[in-house]
Amino acid sequence: MDVSVEVVGEERHEVAVDDDATYADLVSAVDLSPHEVSVLVDGRPVPEDQPVEADRVKVLRLIKGGRT
Amino acid sequence: MECDKCDRDAVMVASYSGAHLCENHFCASVEKRVRRRVREDSLVPRDASPDDPDTWVIGLSGGKDSVVLTHILDETFGRDPRIELVALSIHEGIEGYRDKSLDASVELCEDLSLQHEVVSYEEELGVRMDDVVEKDPENMAPCAYCGVFRRDLLEQYAEELDADKLLTGHNLDDEAQTALMNFLEGDVTQVAKHFDASIGGFEERALTDDFVPRAKPLRDVPEKEVALYAHLKDLPAHITECPHASEAYRGEIQQLLLKLEENHPGTRHSIMAGYEELAQMAAQQYRGDGDENVELNECERCGSKTGGTVCRKCKLVEAVEAV
Repeated sequence: MDVSVEVVGEERHEVAVDDDATYADLVSAVDLSPHEVSVLVDGRPVPEDQPVEADRVKVLRLIKGGRT
Repeated sequence: MECDKCDRDAVMVASYSGAHLCENHFCASVEKRVRRRVREDSLVPRDASPDDPDTWVIGLSGGKDSVVLTHILDETFGRDPRIELVALSIHEGIEGYRDKSLDASVELCEDLSLQHEVVSYEEELGVRMDDVVEKDPENMAPCAYCGVFRRDLLEQYAEELDADKLLTGHNLDDEAQTALMNFLEGDVTQVAKHFDASIGGFEERALTDDFVPRAKPLRDVPEKEVALYAHLKDLPAHITECPHASEAYRGEIQQLLLKLEENHPGTRHSIMAGYEELAQMAAQQYRGDGDENVELNECERCGSKTGGTVCRKCKLVEAVEAV
């Protein structure tokens, strides 16, 4: 299936994944780790181990490269 | 997917435990881990009382970690007469970066009616990080100067505020990175110091009168969960990278750990479990050995503790001003 993945504050990617793919697979497809982001569907965070059921998701980066 | 504990939708999965939690149960779980850490590290002394409370100064940068720590500590101890909470923010003089996170800190403290002190490098030391980076007299990374200045001011103000403890918002990722860096650098002395300075329980540490002891109550919570908590609670946290961030080695370790965590969930927790045990052994072995015996003097210019006559901070400020 084709999913539109918007990395908030950065770019949007059109990603093609298998029908049984999880949200974690979507995150990996845009070169991020599930441990540094949350996936939002309709504005709500979803567990990354769940199968993809939305054709539009937002990926919120939670971790910066540097320290604060 | 439902929450493991109720029939609401799960908002996250903790891959290291397999737990799926809804917003309410996730937030409760973060709070529970912080409270357990406070208890396990014996942060509340047995003799603390309303007449003689323990004063905790919280280093509040306005980033998500310190904002979440401040929020949870205020919820837990805000009305506990045995504990006094004070927030301390430091403005490094970084244009467009610290101003925003300072706004977040001010907003949070106003919301919580928390005492809040703000100090700046410019007023205290006469330098701004933006200029330090420009001049760079010692040919060092920006974080190397900034770390020396920040530690000095935190210490000085923690003392002025009569702090019994200085609390910082380091999370599980931060601590696992530090642990791995100390290990990979082969620096066992540093591991021993890490235990006595900030990660040991207060009943197991050797405390000195020279410095205000530190604690990191957020260090069992992964960075992602800290950020998710701030997002779900709609806390005024500022999430931007410092424009001068330069800790290349830490960044490398961070990426390595994220990869390991993806392939082997629980890696950060197990690193810390083993490291804390080893750090305690190292601390016991190294105590009273080597530089713990060095008598610290007062810096002849500013009065900060130093092994020599002039402290590192004063030497760096002098070098910057000489350019």
